[in-house]
Amino acid sequence: MSLINEKKDFKIIADLIPAKSSVIDVGCNDGSLLEFLKEEKNIDGRGMEIDQQKVQLCLSKGISVIEGDADLDLYDYPDNLFDYSILTYTLQATKSPKNVLSELVRISSKAIISFPNFGHWKIASSLLLKRKMPISEKLSYSWHETPNLHFCTINDFIDLCDEAGIRIEKQANLKTNKLNKFNGKNLLNSYFNEVGLFLVSKIKN
Amino acid sequence: MSENKIVELAKEQALLLDCGRSLKSIKTAYTTYGKLNAAKDNAILICHALTGDQYVASNHPITKKEGWWSYIVGPEKPIDTNKFFVVCPNVIGGCMGSTGPKEVNSETGKEYGTDFPVITIADMVRAQKLLIDYLGIEKIFCVTGGSMGGMLVLEWLSKFPEMVHSAIPIATATNHSAQNIALNELARQSIMADPNWNSGNYYNSDNKPLKGLSVARMAAHISYLSKDALHSKFGRNLQDKNSLDYSFDADFQIESYLRHQGFTFVDRFDANSYLYITRAMDYFDVSSSNNGSLIESFKNTSSKVLCISFTSDWLYPTSENKKIVKVFNTLGINVSFIEIETDGGHDSFLLEEPKLFEAMQGFIKSTYENL
Repeated sequence: MSLINEKKDFKIIADLIPAKSSVIDVGCNDGSLLEFLKEEKNIDGRGMEIDQQKVQLCLSKGISVIEGDADLDLYDYPDNLFDYSILTYTLQATKSPKNVLSELVRISSKAIISFPNFGHWKIASSLLLKRKMPISEKLSYSWHETPNLHFCTINDFIDLCDEAGIRIEKQANLKTNKLNKFNGKNLLNSYFNEVGLFLVSKIKN
Repeated sequence: MSENKIVELAKEQALLLDCGRSLKSIKTAYTTYGKLNAAKDNAILICHALTGDQYVASNHPITKKEGWWSYIVGPEKPIDTNKFFVVCPNVIGGCMGSTGPKEVNSETGKEYGTDFPVITIADMVRAQKLLIDYLGIEKIFCVTGGSMGGMLVLEWLSKFPEMVHSAIPIATATNHSAQNIALNELARQSIMADPNWNSGNYYNSDNKPLKGLSVARMAAHISYLSKDALHSKFGRNLQDKNSLDYSFDADFQIESYLRHQGFTFVDRFDANSYLYITRAMDYFDVSSSNNGSLIESFKNTSSKVLCISFTSDWLYPTSENKKIVKVFNTLGINVSFIEIETDGGHDSFLLEEPKLFEAMQGFIKSTYENL
């Protein structure tokens, strides 16, 4: 999936993570986010990636990476192994987003999740006005060849977290590059953010 | 190209084995490639599989074939002999010059035969450690091997973790499954059923248990290949004939192929060694000294590890290799894992598999750069 501004996203993720944290990037791609976080925050990083060619790239960069599937292989990690888990632009491609989210907040103290917001006005208007499945920079596939299984809007995501016992702590605004305290669901949020980027954690009983 | 060397170790202090007996003046036959650098941080130890030996990248003295891992070991290869000092010893119990059943017991002046103590994978590693000490290497840059070689790698990681900077266990398991043991027992029984085996006393006889050893190899060889590979290579094709013979000759190509594998194997392998080494594999359980806890067994490991499995390997399947990955993950060890898609079966680690080449090269290169 093409990213509008990879480095900008990376920066805002780095801002969420304290130095020397242990981090797993699920769907780590070619490992560039882990490399960036290593440089910026000296993290102890691990990756998981389903595409073998990208696993090979990670190995050649010295990144510890597991060839694996977020839907199946997170169960192999014990509770709270990591300080942070990261899932960027992958949630919508998982078979069971709810299980994956629950697993992420189980294996790490906090999770950083980003996904293309299907509720953004451009996307919504494509559907509403053109009656065509939206294609944008963040959603770059035609409907018949997309690997994405579960599109959601920011408001859907908020509801899912509620249902799964997950607390949203912060939300990033990728336009202003700011991290905001999460103030709950509102329509404007889902209208104007092309990407949802959240810091979440498990609600402890 | 490396000359075979033989060194005698444990000359003063005998090596105590798991079975309770001990071995003194252990001979270890080994090859080396490349040069140990001044910092002594460029050593790679290669552990061979059941029927492998020290001729990892040089021509075999008996078969005259090129080394069994020439695809992976050599100049500019993943295990780059221009850069690394590569050591490959023949395991104890083996038959290519290291102390084993066909060697002469200095106390009796006769070949050991079945008087040789039953050795374990851990014993093999203890003997390898003596060699590494002798070579003056305090920390091995990388220990690697496939199949039984992978078991030795796991044993190194568990018993001498401080001596291992990184490791690549390939197509292996933390212990032998009932199926693995069953296949080895089949092989052993076929050797022992050969009257020429004569309870292991055949070294001075003209009649050696070649039939039994050959059948053992045939059975094992089937387990190294996948159904798909056998099918695409041989199918039901007939060997040099157009119709069935209605006899028990080798009608099918696969029969002829297996017979060839069996016949040629006996030229280079000793039947008693086959018994001892398969026994060691069956006894292997890396967690046995820790009451079956894999977590306890690897709790002091801080090496960087790459685990590799092959999709069509049913002898040491991906699930067994992932078990290792899971334990290492739980312990926070820097572990990587890759499953290579191939129809080559268990033998894939010995084949020219470009994805294996790429993964090992990427891991070894980047790990050495970040040393």
